[in-house]
Amino acid sequence: MGIMDYFKPVDTWSPDKVRQFLNEKSHQDYNLVDVRTPKEYEQAHLPGAMLIPVGELETRLKELDRNKPTITY
Amino acid sequence: MRSRAAAAVLSREGFKKAYSMEGGIRAWNGLRAAGPPDAGMAYFEPAQKPEEMIALAWILEEGACKFYREMGKKQKGPDEAALFRELSADEEKHKSSLFKIYQRRTGKDGDPGFPRSLLSLESGVDYLEGGVVLNKALEWAQGQELRDILDFSVSLEVNAIDLYIKMERKVEGGEAKEVFQALSNQERNHLKRLTAGLQKDW
Repeated sequence: MGIMDYFKPVDTWSPDKVRQFLNEKSHQDYNLVDVRTPKEYEQAHLPGAMLIPVGELETRLKELDRNKPTITY
Repeated sequence: MRSRAAAAVLSREGFKKAYSMEGGIRAWNGLRAAGPPDAGMAYFEPAQKPEEMIALAWILEEGACKFYREMGKKQKGPDEAALFRELSADEEKHKSSLFKIYQRRTGKDGDPGFPRSLLSLESGVDYLEGGVVLNKALEWAQGQELRDILDFSVSLEVNAIDLYIKMERKVEGGEAKEVFQALSNQERNHLKRLTAGLQKDW
């Protein structure tokens, strides 16, 4: 056993892959979640992204359809 | 980093397809974002014994404690320095709570094997969430702005909260459950303070 046995990598997508995915799909097909603060969201966000600051995620999971691909940034 | 932590939470909550966008909005806008070392890893719960999870939590608290302590020294502003110092002091207390729980569960007063032998870890290397080596994170932090350090710290706390929620569910015995619940609540408070820091103009 080593320390890495306790961890699992998170799947990541490049911005290009996200761009392509968003272009091909309709917004009902995915969850796009901005997990930053409201202030950061106001300054700029991706088109169609919903704001769920990471600290609220745990209590707001119901707002997301877990069967859909979910992209966070 | 926050985004990876969020994707990790979603995966653990049963979202089969959760992806974090590399580099966040800065990368989306074509800017190169340099993340912390090995930042693609996140905590995940394999089937572990409660004692191992307690040992792992202790190791991660120690790593966070040292990370915040160094960040406290590095900050020039008194408020920022105080924030990191207080976080560091809290994580130190968490280590004691975890060790007490370990002692009660095993009936051992002292155990030289705790925590490293339980996890087959060598001595002398400190770790943060995701298996990030503390020294690598400290090296990375050298050239970063406060905002990036806060962002990284938020991801540490999100993962810590998750770990304690998992432990609370997994462990038997009301007393241990209460301790883990208290720990996750305290980390939630850290998360609030750090998030407030991200909103503030220092």
